[in-house]
Amino acid sequence: MIEINATDVTNNDDKVKSELLTLNMGPQHPATHGVLRVEIKTDSEIVAQAIPHLGYLHRCMEKHCEHLDYRGVIPFADRMDYLAAMNMEWGYALTIEKMLGTEVPRRAEYVRAIVGELQRIASHLMFFGTYAIDLGAFTPFLYAFQDREFILRIFEELSGARLLYNYIWIGGVWNDITDAQLKRIESFLNEFEESLKKYHTLVGENKIFIERTANVGVISEEMAYQYGATGPVLRGSGIDWDLRKTRPYGIYEELDFDVIIGSGEKGQLGDCWDRYYVRFYEMFESIKIIRQCLDGIEEGPVMGKVPKIIKVPAGEIYMKTECPRGELGYHLISDGTKKPYRLKVKSSCFTHVSMLPEMAPGQLIADFVATIGSIDIVLGEVDR
Amino acid sequence: MKTGNLTPDLSALKTNLEKHEKPLTFTGWFKNVYVAVKSVLTGLGITFKYVTSVKPVTIEYPEVRETLPDNSRSRLFNDVDNCISCMQCAQACPVDCIYITATRRAKEAPKLKTDDGSPIKLDLKQYTIDTALCCYCGLCTTVCPTECLTHTTDYEFAQYTLDEMKYDYLDQDIRAWKHRIVK
Repeated sequence: MIEINATDVTNNDDKVKSELLTLNMGPQHPATHGVLRVEIKTDSEIVAQAIPHLGYLHRCMEKHCEHLDYRGVIPFADRMDYLAAMNMEWGYALTIEKMLGTEVPRRAEYVRAIVGELQRIASHLMFFGTYAIDLGAFTPFLYAFQDREFILRIFEELSGARLLYNYIWIGGVWNDITDAQLKRIESFLNEFEESLKKYHTLVGENKIFIERTANVGVISEEMAYQYGATGPVLRGSGIDWDLRKTRPYGIYEELDFDVIIGSGEKGQLGDCWDRYYVRFYEMFESIKIIRQCLDGIEEGPVMGKVPKIIKVPAGEIYMKTECPRGELGYHLISDGTKKPYRLKVKSSCFTHVSMLPEMAPGQLIADFVATIGSIDIVLGEVDR
Repeated sequence: MKTGNLTPDLSALKTNLEKHEKPLTFTGWFKNVYVAVKSVLTGLGITFKYVTSVKPVTIEYPEVRETLPDNSRSRLFNDVDNCISCMQCAQACPVDCIYITATRRAKEAPKLKTDDGSPIKLDLKQYTIDTALCCYCGLCTTVCPTECLTHTTDYEFAQYTLDEMKYDYLDQDIRAWKHRIVK
């Protein structure tokens, strides 16, 4: 048991004069997953205070969108959360479609669900791999990337790019998916489900991993509510809230899947292990969803009727979707011209970063690394 | 909320550490060791399976080069003979990296047509794409009415200076790509 006496640190009249050490984690620290700088004040190895500094990846996306036509925004939506670009596009496309009143063909809805869930798997695999690296295990990273590679290859064949797809368009999707690709996805899922179970044995049930993550970085139910956490972070704290269930969009209403919530199995409810667990088992749910889509996919066009020059009627809309990292909301204000008047993006990662200062005090530095990893932030989405 | 508060709250330190401290019994200690060794060995077992049974997936670039799917959006190529200077690509471009200059074609000049039969009414004087600015979104290729602007699958075009990334598609060297790469 490490004894810390708060008065020792602050009182200068003691025999041993001690003060807090300021340590800058990032912006180029591999454990911060991008360009996040966390200024931490440490007392020996214990974090006393952590202040995240943002803005290193700020690209004026929202302002820039005001100068683009509605189709031109999609490549910029990609660049927010570059690890889950499909979901970013999907949210944006839904926003504009709702304003225009466009009907999306059934086949396009199925293709969107397939690519959206594949992207969720790819994103969670990325989390799985990098989180293991944060905690000192390198091998799972390679396994995760091997499976992620297949998904990226399918996306490359569909859209032409590996990360920034510009695939989901307003009114549908760009290219049709072929039967051969659907078959390949199906056979991949069969293999992947088997290897996922192995990965969980390898990492999730490893005693060292459990010791490093259980009871670390606890986000209580109350705290998750107060900060407005969303996605796996919220569900990790035991709250049953998934927009795919509660506010269904696309074809999610017709699909059967479960919402994974944390249970505090290895430690407290809402600790890092729970968040890992939620993300990991969401991949199984995604597999379930994709299988249903592969069975139910309908023939037909993949692009709905959209005017050549999109002019969104004047008005306001807020549309949110469930992305791998949480809720992504687009608040669009239109004045009836062919450019958005204002496009505000509500990012989930930004909310989650704001929880760090409350989670950090009292943690060891190594645990703090585990905490940052477990909220799985992408700085492109935080700064935009 | 402690973000704005510049003096760290030290009272939190002790409590947070104490919270997770559990009394460790004698049997508990051995059980921990057993579980740790067992889980690590199970993990190692999985890893060893990969050593023998999984074939390598790494592509040893540049000795082995991967062929990209036909759809891949890589270096842009404009076939200027088929270009009707309609400027649609330049308008669609979200980063404005396509520069086009065209003049009206003289009435007495011989009539030209593209491969798909659309008349060429403008003389293309300049068609430059700044590939360093390009974000490879593919919006310009989709609006092209004569399909002369395409993404090729050519991905090795790094340069030492930014200026070298500016491609003038009226240049003879670049025109020759037509017979080399265009899909």
